[in-house]
Amino acid sequence: MALFLQRLVDGLSSGSVYALIALGLVIIYRGTGHLNFAQGEMALFSAYVVYQMGEWGLPIGFALMIGLAVGFVIGAVAEVGLVRPVSKKSPFAVFIVTIGLFQLLNWLAGAIWGDQVLPNSGVGSEQQQYPSLFPDAPEDFVKVFGAAIRYQSIGVFGLTMVITGLLFLLFNKTKFGLAMRAVASNTESAKLVGIRVNTVLMVSWGLAAAIGTIGGVVFAGINNSVSLGLMFTVFIYGSAAATLGGFDSPGGAVIAGLMIGVIEGMAAGYIGFIGQEMKLAVAFIVILVVLMVKPSGLFGTAKVERV
Amino acid sequence: MSLLSVSQLRAGYGPINVLHDLALTVEAGEIVVMLGANGAGKTTTMRAISGMLGRSGDVVFEGTNISKATPDAIVRAGVAQVPQGRGTFPELNVEDNLRAGAYVRKDGEIDADIDRWFDVFPRLQERRAQRAGSLSGGEQQMLAVARALMSRPKLLLCDEPSLGLAPLITQELFAVIERLNRETGLSVLLVEQNANLAMQIAHRVYLIETGRIVATGSADELSADDSIRKAYLGF
Repeated sequence: MALFLQRLVDGLSSGSVYALIALGLVIIYRGTGHLNFAQGEMALFSAYVVYQMGEWGLPIGFALMIGLAVGFVIGAVAEVGLVRPVSKKSPFAVFIVTIGLFQLLNWLAGAIWGDQVLPNSGVGSEQQQYPSLFPDAPEDFVKVFGAAIRYQSIGVFGLTMVITGLLFLLFNKTKFGLAMRAVASNTESAKLVGIRVNTVLMVSWGLAAAIGTIGGVVFAGINNSVSLGLMFTVFIYGSAAATLGGFDSPGGAVIAGLMIGVIEGMAAGYIGFIGQEMKLAVAFIVILVVLMVKPSGLFGTAKVERV
Repeated sequence: MSLLSVSQLRAGYGPINVLHDLALTVEAGEIVVMLGANGAGKTTTMRAISGMLGRSGDVVFEGTNISKATPDAIVRAGVAQVPQGRGTFPELNVEDNLRAGAYVRKDGEIDADIDRWFDVFPRLQERRAQRAGSLSGGEQQMLAVARALMSRPKLLLCDEPSLGLAPLITQELFAVIERLNRETGLSVLLVEQNANLAMQIAHRVYLIETGRIVATGSADELSADDSIRKAYLGF
């Protein structure tokens, strides 16, 4: 029981990170129908920014705000400067551009912060560990039925739920959310009712990158460090979560992200021959089976139109 | 001064020019119908007026030249378009479609207006929470018209509303447009391929051929002309 609970909580905690990356992917996909390959690296770059703020002695709250702002700007600028000019030409061009952006951001982070795992006293880091949003000392846990539930796990999961709730309110209760949904549903008609589609897309990309930032910072916090390869597998899991949930469903992305995190943890823990190396495969087998039965994902809408 | 006055309008797609110095006017309180065959440039005219296409020439609405304005500025100025093929937001429910139609408004009477259009189109009220994509063709067309009216336009542009609708439904829709025009003074520019029904509510008619206006007059005048009657009215 204790072990089960432990694995469940750990799974939900890493699943939260996948969910945050998936949310960013879904927001962009809904707006423009593009898969943003650079979603993970946008998050990586702002995670480095938060590390740097920590180096300069800023408290994590401030550091996160700055990271969010940088993330938002990266996303918005990427949409206006790179994606928009090519998106009229072909969707494949956008695909290539986001791959290019992936490489650019990773290279830029490497050029600024080097290829070490940070913090690293060898290269002069002031901090002992990556700035954590939640209490993360060895004794920061609570015993529940014998399982040690770390405050960090609770915090990460809680934060993800709060963000999901806020996004739900944004989408469904605000005028801007209505505009986002209208643009996602029919761009031409959105223009005809007077929505400034370009602004909506720019803000959507910024928002997606800002949410990714939280994912990146949280994941670096769980790892206690940031490095250039931090987001590679997270991005793969995140896009798997977006696919499993249905690419146009934010709620689906969150549930699927959590599911993948839990399945991964449970399979690695309970099925002997799977272990840490094979757990990636288990998550993908589950996704494959689900998509064979329901190609639009668990919560995605199959496009049906009456004429 | 006309409500809408278009002159020397040129527009098209890429290198292909569809409209050649097109000119037309709509007076306040008028229903103007533009008739033309497939490919004559009817939809292009509508899209050029509402700013959805690159265009040159003059489009003067209430004394202001809107030929360089963006679509959202044109909606704010008071021109709303019902696009061809309805163009509702299929994933949004009926009520959200109407709310989106009021996107440019900042007043507090949006809920009252929604109720008002539900009175005019009772079937939309029954389907209030249903996704627009699940409505029948006729219901979607009603929704598209109601959504355009939610912006409280002075001029309504309707692009082939009869497309894909049963004649009875088209008649019902035209009756609503005619009633709105009579009761509220709403001005309407309506393009149609299907002339018979549209002519009945038209104050004035334009004929368009290959991007040019070739004839204009009242509905009676044009139906009295033999060649026009044969080509467009089919009797």
